[in-house]
Amino acid sequence: MTAARRGGDNSGWMDFDVIVVGGGHAGIEAALAVARLDFSVLMITQNLDCIGKLSCNPAIGGLAKGNMVREIDALGGEMGRLIDATMIQFRVLNRSRGPAVQAPRAQADKLAYQTLAKKTLEQQKNLCIFQDTAVDFILDSAGHEIRGIVTERGRRFHAAKVIVTTGTFLNGRIYIGEFSMPAGRLGEPAARGLEQGLSRVGFKLGRLKTGTPARVHRDSLDFSRMEPQFGDQDIVPFSFSYDSVDRPRLPCYITFTNQETHRVLAENMHRSPLYSGRIVGHGARYCPSIEDKVVKFPDRSRHQIFVEPEGLQTAEMYLNGVSTSMPEDVQQRFIHTIAGMEHAWIMRPGYAVEYDYIDPSQLYPSLECKMVRGLYVAGQTIGSSGYEEAAGQGLMAGINAARALQRKEPLILSRAEAYIGVMIDDLVTLGTEEPYRMFTSRAEHRLSLRHDSSDMRLVEIGREVGLVTDRYYQRFVAKRVGVEEIKELLRKRRVAETDVSALRALQLGGNFELDSSLGKTFYQLLKVPEIAMIHLAAVDRSLAEPRPIEWLRQVELDVKYEGYVARQDRQVDRFQRMERMKIPADFDYNALSGISNESREKFKRIRPLSIGQASRISGVRNSDIAILMVSLGRWAKQAG
Amino acid sequence: MADHQNPPITALATPWGSSAIAVIRCSGLGAIELVDRIFLPAGKLASAAANSVHHGFLVDPDSRVRLDEVMVVLLRAPGSYTGEDTVEVMCHGSTAGIQRILALLLAIGFRQAEPGEFTLRAFMAGKLDLTRAEAVNEIVSARTAESHEMALQRLSGALEQRINAIKARLVTLLAAVDIQLDYPEEDSGEVVIAPEAVVEVRDKIRELLASYRTGRIYQQGVRVAIAGRTNAGKSSLFNELLRQDRSIVSETAGTTRDYIESTIALAGVPVRLYDTAGFRDSSERVETEGMRRSREILDAADLVLYVIDAGEGVHDSEPAMLQQLRESGRLVGVWNKIDLPAAGAHAAPHGFAAVSLNTGQGLPQLIELICERILPASLTWNGEPVIDSLRQKQLLEAADSALGHVLEGLAMQIPVDAVALDVEEALHSLGAITGEVTTEDVLSAMFAGFCVGK
Ligand SMILES: Cc1cc2nc3c(=O)[nH]c(=O)nc-3n(C[C@H](O)[C@H](O)[C@H](O)COP(=O)(O)OP(=O)(O)OC[C@H]3O[C@@H](n4cnc5c(N)ncnc54)[C@H](O)[C@@H]3O)c2cc1C
Ligand SMILES: Nc1nc2c(ncn2[C@@H]2O[C@H](COP(=O)(O)OP(=O)(O)OP(=O)(O)O)[C@@H](O)[C@H]2O)c(=O)[nH]1
Ligand SMILES: [Mg+2]
Repeated sequence: MTAARRGGDNSGWMDFDVIVVGGGHAGIEAALAVARLDFSVLMITQNLDCIGKLSCNPAIGGLAKGNMVREIDALGGEMGRLIDATMIQFRVLNRSRGPAVQAPRAQADKLAYQTLAKKTLEQQKNLCIFQDTAVDFILDSAGHEIRGIVTERGRRFHAAKVIVTTGTFLNGRIYIGEFSMPAGRLGEPAARGLEQGLSRVGFKLGRLKTGTPARVHRDSLDFSRMEPQFGDQDIVPFSFSYDSVDRPRLPCYITFTNQETHRVLAENMHRSPLYSGRIVGHGARYCPSIEDKVVKFPDRSRHQIFVEPEGLQTAEMYLNGVSTSMPEDVQQRFIHTIAGMEHAWIMRPGYAVEYDYIDPSQLYPSLECKMVRGLYVAGQTIGSSGYEEAAGQGLMAGINAARALQRKEPLILSRAEAYIGVMIDDLVTLGTEEPYRMFTSRAEHRLSLRHDSSDMRLVEIGREVGLVTDRYYQRFVAKRVGVEEIKELLRKRRVAETDVSALRALQLGGNFELDSSLGKTFYQLLKVPEIAMIHLAAVDRSLAEPRPIEWLRQVELDVKYEGYVARQDRQVDRFQRMERMKIPADFDYNALSGISNESREKFKRIRPLSIGQASRISGVRNSDIAILMVSLGRWAKQAG
Repeated sequence: MADHQNPPITALATPWGSSAIAVIRCSGLGAIELVDRIFLPAGKLASAAANSVHHGFLVDPDSRVRLDEVMVVLLRAPGSYTGEDTVEVMCHGSTAGIQRILALLLAIGFRQAEPGEFTLRAFMAGKLDLTRAEAVNEIVSARTAESHEMALQRLSGALEQRINAIKARLVTLLAAVDIQLDYPEEDSGEVVIAPEAVVEVRDKIRELLASYRTGRIYQQGVRVAIAGRTNAGKSSLFNELLRQDRSIVSETAGTTRDYIESTIALAGVPVRLYDTAGFRDSSERVETEGMRRSREILDAADLVLYVIDAGEGVHDSEPAMLQQLRESGRLVGVWNKIDLPAAGAHAAPHGFAAVSLNTGQGLPQLIELICERILPASLTWNGEPVIDSLRQKQLLEAADSALGHVLEGLAMQIPVDAVALDVEEALHSLGAITGEVTTEDVLSAMFAGFCVGK
């Protein structure tokens, strides 16, 4: 079934199994997944030098996003390895907090990241990269199935599946104060034409906007007036492929806006394209520009700014927290009011970008669109925002396009399995009217979605899909066994007199009575808030050696939160029961007389696959779900 | 859609038995046309407007015999209870007459409705949600004005409001946690869930839980047995209580000769009252089947009115039984026949109410005592919403225990992102009560055994 690689033929009649439009974070994962599953792929992107560009923040990971990167890795995706090899600072966020909210985050060397991404694609078997811009689709005569794409230069490429990942480029327009021009990123032209192809297919298009701050020259900043923020000494790799990575550890710097900054912004608000009404696209409420913050939080006397290095080979510094689309003179004035930036030299101004996106509720959870077979859409184009979000969707679209070619059921991760599952379910079930960013709070089963156990949840799935290599899988099995062994040791090992004195010597503090632990198992002891795995390992070296620290950390969280995990598992069961109640694809909602018209229209539009999904559609009455359940109910005998 | 109707069904809507008027409900596709075929004046119903009332006769179409003179209420889809074309026939309430009409309806194409099937249809037609459907079941079986009122309250959503208020408190707690979930340490302060706030919510839940006993008593009623030796005056007391009752709902003779029972209302509570066969002298004590059954009734009773003839005094065989009843908290002692001269010779056992069923002396006090024992002041309905189904009780208990976990977690200094899980669990349980979360169990419990017509 696999078409042979025909990359050598540039005649314009090349055939591929799959075409990926766009070489951003979604496109990279999609193309690699398809190629690794042994189908031929053509990645068409506007500019080869911009593959894998980090358009905005030079960082990968963060709360919930870091979990997604590790999920991508466990499923056989690339992002984890890309950032591991190019990071210049690493931190686990929220170490002081609970297990559900800890997450890895790394500063990336932007250029290194991009270069490695491109190199990885270039070296991938079955994958061809081609610089051009897709402007239209080729469909079958009935218009029900995708056949390929047409490019700006009139080339026609045929393929059985097409994955669209156009990011912020579809009909993009950037704004800097009064200035505006068609572009997808500053200095890169917008992609025009494909938006018409998408509407012809039946997609509802909308406008979204997002923004980025100015980049300033490192040497123009006075770091003595800022507070350095260092990363963690030990780096936990995002990828489960290895135990450690050796990377430079650069600091970031913290400074703050002040009343004067806010005054400059307030006085010039009429010159902001956001407030002058020129930008119509919705921005994300949670990721506001500095002008938004000043308007919406007038009581705040300052806002925090992280000054982040963009790489080892560049002096550009990213001003995290002051994204803006103010005119350049205003940008310069407000930046100069900030401590340590009095003389900052702006190398690139901040800007806002507005672009077309499609309503994601027009996609199935496989990311295939409902109108045309074989057309998949992923990344910023379906209303999300963020590299990790894009990568997660790209991976799933790639996997599902390949599975369709393999005539297999699509892979749909559930909300209880992965943040990726939560994200896609949210998008296709609820649609979105603002850029969708992943948040921990969106995941109701977040305690099961810890970043450190992403492999436990997903490697078997990735293996079944065919993206997890033998070596990776063996490492995983060793860890799974190892983690169980440690738990077994903890269950067997009882606290002796000598342990008590050894623990006392550690001076743990708290009001825990060590003597009362005599005779208990280490397993029980680990549940005590004051006792950590490292303490036990210090008392009994056989626990730690020769095991990677990550295994110990995982055991610690598993044991400490055992009761919670068990309760979460019960919730997951309950949730899965609803997910398992499938709704036949041809279910006739017109025959349900009792449901509201609004619900009926929504059911017909979203076409939920299960009662669970149906119940998450917004604005659907609970009683309508109950009616649907009864009418589908297996307990209800059909009238005979 | 609106024109979607199920096959026609019919059933008697009023309780079985003779009464002045009975109502037979007919609903479903073609219900109006079908009834029209046996209605005189002919053709009147088929052309009648929705929500109209018609006077006429039901006629056997073959023999042309008039079965009954009736009033007919005609409702058209979707404006009826079931959302379907509906005809409600008000006929005379003789059992023989009802049976003949029902037989005729079945003969012309109606199917006998299964219990609750109208409610199922109303539910499927979107006419009532689950909590309300549950309440309807209770109204149908409500036996006193109070229990009817309670179910009605539920129908109007008073319980829902109460629970929503509790939920709102929990949602506020969670909202604070969510902020912490989504912003890292350096950007957001540490959220603390105040244990006092949790305790407050839990107390509210416990208050509602406590109302279960009240709800249960009004809904299910209590069993009260009258016991004592032969001739102590048990039947006199039975009759006296029946007379006191002003809202006898139904009365059935005991299926066995040995005891009789009747349903009365005391203090608004439906009371199943049993008059048992008296205990005899020990010399005559033959273990008859009748006496064994009397004991069974006593054992199952929530309250036992034990009557002793003051003229005879306490019999040697009695103290043991009295002791037992006292210990189980079910004894109301009745020291009867104090009008007899011989009564003065014996001392009443402790706590017995002295009465004369003949003269009526002490009777009002006795009845007050019985009412108080059936429904202690603490359980008397104060007009607030109560819960009265086992399902609701279990869900509230689940919420209560989830909040217990929350408090435990806070005491153990478990981080809020984990503790939040138990808050969410409590919310889930509360949502299941108001029907916001629909679980399979609820539906199968409500509608198990139904045929869902296509
Ligand atoms: C100004 C700006 C601000 C941002 N701010 C934030 C932020 O605050 N927070 C956040 O989380 N994320 C932000 N991002 C978003 C982040 O960059 C994206 O979420 C992420 O890059 C999306 O990945 P993607 O693969 O979907 O698309 P992109 O990374 O945008 O990649 C799309 C690629 O497709 C190519 N392409 C597009 N159309 C065609 C075509 N028709 N034919 C051929 N090639 C095509 C483009 O050249 C590009 O290489 C911002 C992006 C920009 C530009
Ligand atoms: N003087 C007097 N006689 C009473 C009183 N109450 C009941 N009696 C009489 O006692 C006799 C027995 O009364 P019942 O009510 O039939 O007694 P019982 O306990 O039901 O008797 P069994 O069914 O035979 O066990 C009747 O003749 C009643 O009139 C009372 O208060 N005073
Ligand atoms: Mg008697």
